[in-house]
Formats: sequence, structure tokens, C-alpha cells
Amino acid sequence: MTTVSASGAYLEVQGLMKWFGSDRAVDDISFSLPKGQFLTLLGPSGCGKTTTLMSIAGLHGIDAGVIRVGGTVYTSKADGIFLPPEKRDIGMVFQSYAIWPHMTVKQNVAYPLEIRKVERREIDARVADVLRLVGLADMSEKLATQLSGGQQQRAALARAIVSRPRLLLFDEPLSNLDLKLREQMRVELKRIQHEVGITSVYVTHDQAEALVMSDEIIVMSKGRIQQKGGPHQIYARPINAYVSNFIGVANLLKGRVVGVTAPGRGDVEIAEGGHRVKLSCQLGEGVAMGEEAVVSVRPENVHAERVNGGGQRLEGEVLQAIFLGNYVDCRVRWGEFEWKVLAHPRDRLREGEKVYLRLDPEHTLAVQQ
Amino acid sequence: MSVQTLPGTAADAPTTSRWRSLITQESVATLIVSVLVGAAVLLPLFTLVVSSFLVLDPGGFDTAWGFDNYKTLFTDRIIPRAFVNTLLISTGSTIVATVLGVSLAWINARTNCPWRDRLEPYNLIPFFLSPFVGAIAWHNLASPKTGLLNAWARHYLGIEGYLINVNNIYGVIWVTGIFFTPLVYLFVVGSLRRMDPSLEDSARTTGAGLVRTTMTVTLPLVAPGILSGAIIVFVTSAGEFGVPFKLSAPYGWETLTTQIFSKAVGDDANHYLGATMSMALGAITAFFIYVQQRYIAPRSFTTVTGKGFRPNVIDLGRWRWVAFGYNVAFILVAVVLPILCLFIVSLHPVWTAEIIPSDMSFRNYEKTLFFWRPDAIQAATNGIFNSLILAFAGASIAMVLSLVVSHMIHRTKGFGSRVLDFLCVVPIGFPGIVLAMGVLVTYIKTPIYATLWILLLGYITRFFPYGQRNIASVMLAISEELDQSSRMAGASWLTTLRRITIPLLKPGIFAGWVLLFIIFLRELSISIILYTSGTETLSVGVYYLTNFENEPLTSALSMAQTVMLLICILIFRRVAGREALTA
Amino acid sequence: MTAGNGVMVALDHLSKHFGVEKAVDNVSLAVAKGEFVTLLGPSGCGKTTTLRCIAGLEQPDAGEIRIGGDVVVSVARSRYLNPEDRNIGMVFQSYAVWPHMTVFDNVAYGLRVRRAPAAVIKERTTRALELVGLGQLAERYATKLSGGQRQRVALARAIVYEPRVVLFDEPLSNLDAKLREQMRVELVRLQREVGITSIYVTHDQSEALVMSDRVVVMNKGVIQQIGDPQTIYAHPANTFVANFIGVANLMEGTCLGRDGGFCALEIPLGDGRAPLRVRVSGAEGAAKGQRLILSLRPEDISLHLQQPDSIDSNLFAGEVIDTVYLGSFLECRVQVGRHEVGIQIDHYEQLSPGQTVFLTFRPDHGLCLTE
Repeated sequence: MTTVSASGAYLEVQGLMKWFGSDRAVDDISFSLPKGQFLTLLGPSGCGKTTTLMSIAGLHGIDAGVIRVGGTVYTSKADGIFLPPEKRDIGMVFQSYAIWPHMTVKQNVAYPLEIRKVERREIDARVADVLRLVGLADMSEKLATQLSGGQQQRAALARAIVSRPRLLLFDEPLSNLDLKLREQMRVELKRIQHEVGITSVYVTHDQAEALVMSDEIIVMSKGRIQQKGGPHQIYARPINAYVSNFIGVANLLKGRVVGVTAPGRGDVEIAEGGHRVKLSCQLGEGVAMGEEAVVSVRPENVHAERVNGGGQRLEGEVLQAIFLGNYVDCRVRWGEFEWKVLAHPRDRLREGEKVYLRLDPEHTLAVQQ
Repeated sequence: MSVQTLPGTAADAPTTSRWRSLITQESVATLIVSVLVGAAVLLPLFTLVVSSFLVLDPGGFDTAWGFDNYKTLFTDRIIPRAFVNTLLISTGSTIVATVLGVSLAWINARTNCPWRDRLEPYNLIPFFLSPFVGAIAWHNLASPKTGLLNAWARHYLGIEGYLINVNNIYGVIWVTGIFFTPLVYLFVVGSLRRMDPSLEDSARTTGAGLVRTTMTVTLPLVAPGILSGAIIVFVTSAGEFGVPFKLSAPYGWETLTTQIFSKAVGDDANHYLGATMSMALGAITAFFIYVQQRYIAPRSFTTVTGKGFRPNVIDLGRWRWVAFGYNVAFILVAVVLPILCLFIVSLHPVWTAEIIPSDMSFRNYEKTLFFWRPDAIQAATNGIFNSLILAFAGASIAMVLSLVVSHMIHRTKGFGSRVLDFLCVVPIGFPGIVLAMGVLVTYIKTPIYATLWILLLGYITRFFPYGQRNIASVMLAISEELDQSSRMAGASWLTTLRRITIPLLKPGIFAGWVLLFIIFLRELSISIILYTSGTETLSVGVYYLTNFENEPLTSALSMAQTVMLLICILIFRRVAGREALTA
Repeated sequence: MTAGNGVMVALDHLSKHFGVEKAVDNVSLAVAKGEFVTLLGPSGCGKTTTLRCIAGLEQPDAGEIRIGGDVVVSVARSRYLNPEDRNIGMVFQSYAVWPHMTVFDNVAYGLRVRRAPAAVIKERTTRALELVGLGQLAERYATKLSGGQRQRVALARAIVYEPRVVLFDEPLSNLDAKLREQMRVELVRLQREVGITSIYVTHDQSEALVMSDRVVVMNKGVIQQIGDPQTIYAHPANTFVANFIGVANLMEGTCLGRDGGFCALEIPLGDGRAPLRVRVSGAEGAAKGQRLILSLRPEDISLHLQQPDSIDSNLFAGEVIDTVYLGSFLECRVQVGRHEVGIQIDHYEQLSPGQTVFLTFRPDHGLCLTE
């Protein structure tokens, strides 16, 4: 049953379904991933991302679908194939690190090799190599309990990659670390994955983590895939209002496409907050003439100016200006609609002040609801 | 789906692999253990119910179905009184244990009482000793004529007659109360010590003084713990056999347990009536345990947020010396005096409430311990061997069982794990003597009767839940992902169990093992029902000596048992913290 | 000493030791009536100990604290008022909502302790619950509430009896990020509405910037700087403040002299490269040859792919180390000699490691610090 995919896909998930009682945790999901890539499954809790990961790991069975890695069928409901987790040759990093506290760092990392009956001398060499890679070379004799959170996470990573598995799975590994360490570990984790080149699937609910680390992102909601794409694509060209709102912050206004001026360009009439205006937009996928759409504008693409320079400008009043150091988080009242605006501290916007909002048509996007 | 099903071999291949995938190391082990535990727990209870409806004819040869046994419970000359006595004793000892336990716990956890961390281990010692032996000791301390304390009162205070008398229902309440004080103590001290101090701080900053904060915040928060402890004491007292047997039954205060015992052995034996009385006692205890598990335990407020708290400590000022004196007095009364008295009595050839240094010898120890000597008392020397064998084998088997059961309850989900979880609570709901009665009527006609095996079965069935809880508490504290990551690393279920799960649980397993070893070493109420000549245990030996020999001999064997238990406590404290005790 | 007009809480030379460690070292501070002051610093900086001294949960080793003119603790005069007699409110990190009481009983507690009449208790408790948006949940038990709701109960409980000051001990740190941001804004709104004097302890700099009238930055038990959020961010008093509030690139250099309100600074780059010469603001009294530290915010640096022609900004070149894409902006690390400079770009740019880029910043955006 080993068929190599023509598309060069290494990990293939087809028609995956998983039910918990009457609850469809994963609802017909298909995707594939080329060898060596870093894929992130992103979504809020309960969106099915972890269930998908556990299905790939073989930590539970599935209700429909096929999971293939490098041409080998791992799980196939129709054929009654289920490879137990220990036969899948997968490395996994858990949220709780799951470093065995009764072993030293070295013993933890050597474990997968011992199970595979690798020769002692080779074990020592490979463990030393991988500990150097993750920056724990001088910690190898420490007990897991003597390590800090970040160090435990590095040890867990070392243990997952030491046997050079076919696939590396991450289940929200950074969510137990504090903010500063988390930001640092993102970059580090990505560097190590790049260096060892193991195909990776990463689960998180943190959009910043997904943007920083991934080659590909799959945004999930209620057990289904909303959008798949590269980080910049997902952020700059979200397919619908859900993705636009989940990745970063967006001003979302409901409207209808009233004119198409050029391929992918058009006017959207919005009736929001007691106003009725036409906005010149980029038209997203599946948005056509006469159809309802949602206009999505990122706060950093809304410019609040004191003078009306003409063009596409909306007049409003500063409701709130929260100083956050490198930027000011503003709310601007426009009728009943509140615009989220990212302003520069040196603009010195004050609450109650009248401003004109300038929207750049390049960054004003009409998407599906 | 693009995969086509091929005719012939490929068509049935999925079915076979599907069946084969069900037979894993995990599922086979689960099945075997579930059946074993189910049979061990449910069979005796089932037989007990059935037997209670079998009425023995006056000749003692034939039985018929009927409710007559239940009628006897009410019409008998002694049984209704025994029933009332049982309730009185349980209520009384619950009050004594709760007052002592809560006050001692508060002193230790929340005040600046001097040397309080040194006192704590001694407060817990009665928990590990045999209440039966405690009763023997107090009998020698405070019998009207032969009690040492009364003799001293006559001699030094010039009192006529006696000062105190424990040979009655109040004596039972007293001894049971002080021996079960650590149960309440353990339930309360944990929540007092781990309580988030900001719960009290916020009452203070809101404007409540110290007393008001204690009454409206601290005490209500530990109330579920106090109630749980009190219920456990009530139930344990109701099922206690040794203390009333020694102190009240000979003087006309029978209890349900002493009555059950008289129906299980001896000339008057009627297993069916014994089963019926066991049903009555079991119904009471099971009801209370149900209430505790279902309604009280879940109410204990989770006041722990995972941070290491320094609990608020109250400065008692000069009163701290009063608190210290109070605590020391408890240790004196519950531990030091009884053991000292046992030792003194055991050195005399006969006990006349008078210490005669010239008569003292170790002769009684020779007769009860030196099995190779011709004048050794068999029932006593047998007891030591049998108890060591039972304790060792019982603790080991029970811990293996507990390990697999805990794994199934906490690492698998679904119907099976819930059933097992229930089965692990059931034995706790029934006193040892009740369960032993069930075991007796179930297996009396099988070859295991009159062997050590039936005792082993009784012990494990009644007490493996304690071991299981010890393991479960550790298991709940360690993440399931530790196991899963071993599977992901390529290890099978058994390898994972051997290399990851068991090593991680080692402290829990070891603590549980020693705890069970201690319980089995002092076990009386199951042994007394199930023993036969040749399978006496340590406590049965003590029973034999107190019944058929004299007090000094009894004290000697009691002393030997106590020393063995004290050694075990030392080991237990080494391997487990005090937290591991809250079973 | 008499309290100045409008001063609600005054700390005078407060010190507290734990063993040999100085947790609070000679701290003096005056908080005006109705003011929202935040004590900000890393863990172990003494901010919580200071707060607990004000609450009376900790006794200082030296100094004096006055609340509303009354001396609540004075070591010199051996005066110490119990927490319950100080008429303060406090909100704890663990919420400390009593699980055995309903929401109403929790909030009413302070009024009952003060023996308020039943009608007053009912009225004021209801009002406080409505204020925090929990009017519907009065009869709920605290155990049935979410973390955010518990925090609201704790807040209502602390303000219902109108104490002279409310103390906050990292109240939001147990909430998740989204809820935390929402609660910040709400808390400020509430505080302004009630006008209650507040002292707030946190280690989260954005919390401090968003909420406070004034921020007190502490480190190792000592106050580093007191000021409003803008001042603290734009004019940090020293490198600790510069680095703790926001992100700062710090580079050491030597003063070459002053010129037109700016300071000329020479920053050695190592590797045999010519030193960097920049004009920056700050360090007014600096003398020629003095050692100074340049503090530069990542968002104040502009990145260019080609060398800009004529500029009045400071210019230097470097090689891209790596980039981190965060959607609304791109973080980029650039190697400039021996220095690693972090910059923040507000648009998407395809940059590859090793690529040469040019960085500029305006003289008034760079700040010289003496330590």
C-alpha cells in the first residue's frame, strides 16, 4: 500500500474525520506538506487542531480518512489500518515538555535510540551532537527537575529529533513559557528545525507564533480548514472575515460590491455606523459584483490625520488613545462604528480630537463573510 | 476514496487486522484485572446479601428462605442494644477525635507553638498502631482494680476505690477517639496549611479582625475537610472490633461487631444471622461513605493555586506554651503512657497493679516469641510468622493490582474505567468485619478455607483501595504526556510501563506498600473471622492471649507488635511525606 | 512632618529586609487623592513588599506610612495599625474570592464588618456589582465564576465600602492575554469613574503604560524613576528603565562634544571598522571624553535597501541577521560592527540574511544616558 505521491507531498492527510460523541472535532480535513517544511495548524481552542495532530501521532483512532507519511499509510479507516504510535517513527514535543523527571537530560535524550537498539557508542555521539544543537551541551548530567522551563523545552526538542524521525509534531510547546522566553524560543525553534530539516507540524492558538515560525499556515475553525497559505499571504490576503479577525486585528465593515473597476479591484458600498459610503478595495477570492462582502482594514493601515487632504477620507473623533510606548492604540468614533487605529506616539493624538481617517486602497480588502 | 478493495485475501485482511488490533498488551491486562477485581469485591457482598435471607432451622442443619433473620435484629434480647451501643460509641468517638484533631491541626499548621514541626510525627503515631492493643494498654492503665493509674491514685492521692474506669462504653469512646484523632488531623491539616493566604489577607484588608476572619473565612473553608474526617471516624469506629471486645463486651456493653463475631465462631455460631447483622452494619457505613464521597469530598474548596504558599501564622504570645502543653499531653495520653504501661505489665509474671522490680523478667517474651522453646504458646508464635507472610505477600500483590487498576482508571477513558473507579470505593464503605463475613460465607466450602489464602483474599479485597489511592495521587500529579512521549519515542505499552510509568510512581508505590504492610501487620477484624487453628495472625495471637491467658503475656505480644509497627513507621516516614497518608 | 494637601498615601524612607536581603530600600513616595500610581519592576524588585507594607500585611523595618494623614505605621514611633483598621481595599493576584460565599456575600462582607444597616448593604452592594458588570450573578457561588468574573468580584469587594485607597497586587496576571487587555481598559475606566486612589503593582510594562497616571519604576528595592508613562518611555532616567520599559538598543560610546543642543557621540564598532559618529539628544551636562550610552528604540530606526542620498539623519550600514514577521510589522536584527541592532519596520519587506542594509535615525530620536 505504499504509493509515492506524484505531487512531492510528504505528509498527506485525506478526508480526516474525528468525532467525540456527536461533536465533530475534525470535520473532513485534507492537506499535504512537502518534505522539510514547517506547517502550523492555527486556531482557537476546540477548533480541532490538536485532534488532527493526535490523529497523525496515532494517539487516538480516527472515524474516517487516510494519513500517509512518505508513502506509508499510517492510518486508513477504510482499510482498517492503524499503526500504533510507537511504530510511526515520529518525534513529538508536548505542551508540558514531558521530560521524564527520574532521568538525566542525557538519559531522556538517549531513550528513543535505546528503544531502537542503537549501539552505545553511536548513542553517546548522537546525544552529544543534538544537545549541542539545542544549546544544552553542559547540562547533560542534570536531572530534568533541575532545569528551567525553557531548558526543559530544549531537552524535549532534543529527545524528539535525536532519532531523526520522519515527522516532528509540536503540541503548543511554548504556551507554558513566559512572554519574553516564548518570543526568544520561537526564533530558536525555527532555526533548529531549519537546521535538521525534519518535516514538522506545529499546533498553536497564538497567531504571532504561527506568523514567525511557519512556512505554511492552516487556519482552522470548528473542525474545518478556513485557509492555507504562507504567513504574509494569510495576514495580507485573508480569505474571509474569520481569518482576517483571527490573524492580527482588523476593522471589519459589512457591505456590497457595487462596481468592478479592474481585475481584482472594485468599489464596495458599506452601510455601517449610520454611514453609507463607497470604498475602493482590493477584491479577495470569491468576491464578485453585486455580492455581499466584508471590508477588512488593519489598524496600521488606517492613518489618522488632522487635516483633510481629500480622497478617500472618513471624518471621526478620537475616543480613546492608549499609549503603549512604541505605538498608540486608538479608537476613533465614526458614527456608531469604532475604528481601531494604530498611531505613532509622536502624532500626539488626544481624546476628543477630530481626525480624518485615510484608507489606502492597496490595503483595503473586500473578503467573504 | 481511491483505494479499491481487492477480492479474496485483501477483502478479509481488514477484518483480521481489526480484530488483532483489539488484542493489545493493554487490553488483555485490562480485562484480566477488571475481572479479578470485580469478582473479589462483588462476590462476597453478593453472597452476604443472599445469606442474610437464609434462615437456619433450630436444629442447625437446614435452611429456608425468609426474613426471619431481619426480624431477629429487632426482637433479639441483645442485638438492638448492641445496635444502640454502636451508634453511641461512634458518635462519642467522632466528637472526641474531631475536637482533638481539629485543635491539634490548627496548632500545628497555623500557630507559632514551639517545636510544632517536631511534634507532628508523634501526633500521627496512633494512626499506625493497633487500637486493640491501645485498649489492652488502657485496660491496664485504668481498670478499677488493676489499673496502674487507679493504683497510683489510691497510693499517692489517698483515693478510695478508683479514679477512672475504662471498662465501659466511655472507655471505648475514649480509646477509639484518641486513636482515630490522626484521621481528622490529616484531613484538616493539609487544607489549613495549603490555603491561599490571600483569602485571609483579603478579609483583613476588608476590615475584619483576626477572630472574625477565623470564624467567617478560615473555618468555613476547612469545614468540608473536618466533616470528611468526622464521617470517616464515625464509620471506622462503627466497624471497630478490638476496642469494644476488650473494654465493653465483657462488662455487658455488646456492639454490632462483637455480636457479628459471636455469630461467626464458637458454639453459638449462625453465619446467616451474622450475615444479616453485617448487612445492617454495612448499610450504615456504606451510606455514610456514600454521602462523604458524593457530597462532602467534592465540596472541599480548591484553595490551592499551585504557588508555594507560606500560610499565615498566628502569634499566640504566652498562650503558645499552653498550646504546646496541650499537644504534649495528647502525645503522652495517646502514645507514651499506653506503650510504657504495656512494657511494665509485660515484665511481670502476674499483674496486680503494683510495680515489683524484683519480679521483673523477660519470661513473657520468651513464651510468646521464642517459637523453638517447648513452652512457647503456639497461637502467639504462629501469629508472627503468619502476619509477616500475609503482610509481605498481601502488600506486594495489592500494589501490583493497584498499579494496573490506577493506570486503567486514570489513563483510559470510558465505561470500564468508571466501573473500576466505583469498585475501588466499595470496599472502603464496608468495615473489615462485614467484608470478612462475606468472604467467610462465600469461600467456607472451598479448599482455600482454613488456609492463609482466605486471609490474604480478605486483606487485599478490603485494603487494596488504600494502595490504589496512594498510586493515584502520584499518577494524577504526573502528566499523561510523559507516557505518551515514550510511545512516540518508539516504546511499546509494556516498555513504557516498565521504563517510565513505574519509575515515576515509585514513591507512591513504596509508600502504599509500607502503609499496607502496616495495616496488615495489625489487622484484627478480618483475621478474627477468617482464622482457624494454625492460621492465627499477630492480632489474633493477642486476642488468644487476652482471652485464654493473662495480661502480662498479652502485653508482651502487644509490645512486640507495637515495636514492629514503630519500625515500619520510621521506614514509612523515610519514603513518604505526611501528605501520602490521606487515604 | 505633615502631609501636603491632597496627598492620600505617603511613604517616608520605607525599608524592609528579609534576612540580609534588602527587599525595600529607603523608598519615599506620595500618592495624590484620586491618582492611579503603578509600582513597576521585575520580580524581586520590592514592589509587592512595598504594597504589603502599605496594607499592613508586612511590617517595615524602618520608615513611616501615612494614609489620609493618619500614621498607619511608624517604626520610629513604634506605631502599627492592623490591616483591618487602615480602611483600605485590596485586590489579590489569586483573586482570593471566598469560595464558600455567594458573589453578593463576598462583596457585602466589608459593609457587614462595618455594621452597615441592611438596607445600605443591599443598596451599595448591588450598585458595586452593577458597576463591575456582575449585577446578574449576585446569587452565584464564587466557584461557578470564570477568572475574569472572579477578578470583578474581588474589585467590587475592595471598593464597596469606599476605602481611602485600593491596593492592587498584580491582579491581571492570572488572566489570559485577551481578557487581560480588556480588563486593563475596564479597570482604568472604573477607577476614573469612582475616583478612588489606587496603587497598582505589576511587572508588565504595557499594563503600567496603559493604566497609570504615574509610574514608579523599581529595581532591587530602590526607586529608579517616577513619572508619567510618556516621560518614562521617551526619557528614561537610566539604562535599566530604558530596557525595562519597551525595547532599547544600547550602545556605548564617548562624548566628542556638544553642538547645537545635540551631543556628538563616537561609538566604536570593533573589527577594525571606523567608529560610528552620531548626533543625539540628551546628556546635557556631559563633558568631552565622557563615557555615554546611546539608547535607541527599534521603531525610531528606518531601514533602506539603497544608501539614501542627502539626509540630516544619522546613517550607518549593517548586514541583516534575521527577520521575524509579525503581521502588523516586521522585526529585523542587523549586525552593525560588534553591535546587534533590532529594528522594527511597519511594512512587509523581503530581506535575506547577510544582505546589506542602511539604517537612519533622527538626532532627536536617539537618547544619551550616563549609566
